Amino acid sequence: MSKEKTPVFKTKEKASIAQKKENRYGWLFISPYLIFFTVFTGIPFVIAIVMSFLNMKYITRLDNLKFVGLQNFIKVFTNKEIMASLIRTFQYSLVYVPLIMILGFVLAFMLNNGVYMKKAMRSLVFMPYVSNMVAVAVIFKVLLGNNSPVIVALRNMGFDPPLLLLNLKLALPTVAMISVWKGVGLNMVVYLGALQEVPAELLEAAQIDGATKWQRIRSIIIPMISPTTFFLVISSIIGSFQNFTCIQALTEGGPGQATTVMSVNIVRTAFTKYETSLASAMAFVMFALVMIVTLIQWRGQKKWVNY
Amino acid sequence: MTSKKKSLKIALTVFILLIGLVSNFPFLFMISSSFKVSGEVMKFPWHLIPENPTLMNFQALLTNGIYNFQKWYLNTVVMTALTIVIKIFFVSFTAYGFARIKFKGKDAIFLVLLSAMMIPSDIMILPRYMIFKNLHILDTMWSLILPSCVDVYFVFLLRQSFVSIPDSLSEAAKIDGCGHFRIYWQIIFPLAKPAIATMALFSFTWSWNDYMGPYLYISTMDKQMLSVGVKLFSSGLIQDYGSQMAAATAVLLPILIAFLFCQKFFIEGVASSGVKG
Repeated sequence: MSKEKTPVFKTKEKASIAQKKENRYGWLFISPYLIFFTVFTGIPFVIAIVMSFLNMKYITRLDNLKFVGLQNFIKVFTNKEIMASLIRTFQYSLVYVPLIMILGFVLAFMLNNGVYMKKAMRSLVFMPYVSNMVAVAVIFKVLLGNNSPVIVALRNMGFDPPLLLLNLKLALPTVAMISVWKGVGLNMVVYLGALQEVPAELLEAAQIDGATKWQRIRSIIIPMISPTTFFLVISSIIGSFQNFTCIQALTEGGPGQATTVMSVNIVRTAFTKYETSLASAMAFVMFALVMIVTLIQWRGQKKWVNY
Repeated sequence: MTSKKKSLKIALTVFILLIGLVSNFPFLFMISSSFKVSGEVMKFPWHLIPENPTLMNFQALLTNGIYNFQKWYLNTVVMTALTIVIKIFFVSFTAYGFARIKFKGKDAIFLVLLSAMMIPSDIMILPRYMIFKNLHILDTMWSLILPSCVDVYFVFLLRQSFVSIPDSLSEAAKIDGCGHFRIYWQIIFPLAKPAIATMALFSFTWSWNDYMGPYLYISTMDKQMLSVGVKLFSSGLIQDYGSQMAAATAVLLPILIAFLFCQKFFIEGVASSGVKG
């Protein structure tokens, strides 16, 4: 309770002295963090904004700096290579988001509806989530490569599996599916938590009223867990945009430009081409797109999210 | 339970088990291959148990003349340990301030922190590079440790858990003459251990697995971290699948073991808070 609200025992003056003391303590507790936060997040954010309006090339050379207005942003939208990488980011999301959402739900639903050794099963599916993407990439490159035991086994069964990571058309969806494999455990666990909150009485009542299993899923379970779905959709979309590690580790943007998505392109523009300002503008364009997608979702949630 | 229901349950269990095995097959393949001589890794038909088990691949990791794998390993262990310790104190201290002290300006600052959570990391890459350079921590592990200690996410999460600790406990301590520091250290911190354990485990995972940070900010080979190291290693020794798998095993094993022993904190931490990394 705040001291100001207990005037029965203390005069107002005394209370305000105590409050001043609390103020001091409060700031004492948060100021180390605030200083670090300002240095590593606040200031960088401001620098990034400023940078995107300058003509900066190279990171350390600060001569000849000029304000160029929206020129960098115009370049982002008129440069074919950048636009292609932006489109690839969306293509990646189009594979990643639906798959990770549906699989996460289906797995959670199956786990929740009676399996033996539920906890062990849950851990088994969650395991890839904690693994190191680069180490995983090393394994997958061998497993999906020519002459790997898996590929040979498939060939012996009469299939002709393509070399997924080296195929111009298939590399991007493959990378997206590998990150679904890695991340789906998290969505599953979050969904599992939500499913356990669905009141059993409600489901039983529906069953007594003659609702089929499918009807119960559609009319009770899915609406009841819609806030979780909403949260997961948004964070999965954001996750699908920040896919640098996964792609860099698996394909480094190749073959050709097939998996050069925006995040890979930003790092390349900044650290290989040294187009500092352009890279900054690219990052902001991506940020803006994520914001727009999130805002549309936010607007749209009234139609399907029940709180 | 009817027998129909029971058989459905068995079928579901088998099905999920199959999915689990398929999704963990890459790890089985990795561990098994790391004990095989190189020619056997790609041999068909494939055997889980190596025909001629060997430690050669792990020896190759330690004795190869090009890459200093031990150094990378040590760097990563030190960096991860420092990150966890610093982060726990830094974040819990701040979270205490937000959760248990009423002071002016608190809500406004908290709002700023929350909105900063939405800034994607891509935007920070270049400016951070410049700041690290000016602070002279570029190309040191501090460029990885310090930024990850201002993790807004866990300030938010710990605050939630601190708020849920009953006020009466700290009120009683206050009457006994405890200041905020002692309340933080002797009451709140110990009571919030499950939340702090979850945070420690996730920090461990994220720091251990971080690739982008060391890739961008560390350039000296001997100061490099495992993630980048393994990538160098695997692109350098293209045909030696056995050693590549040994390297991957060395990287993955600590984290998989930590997960197996602390599943509860990992999974229930996620389920109750919705951690999304």
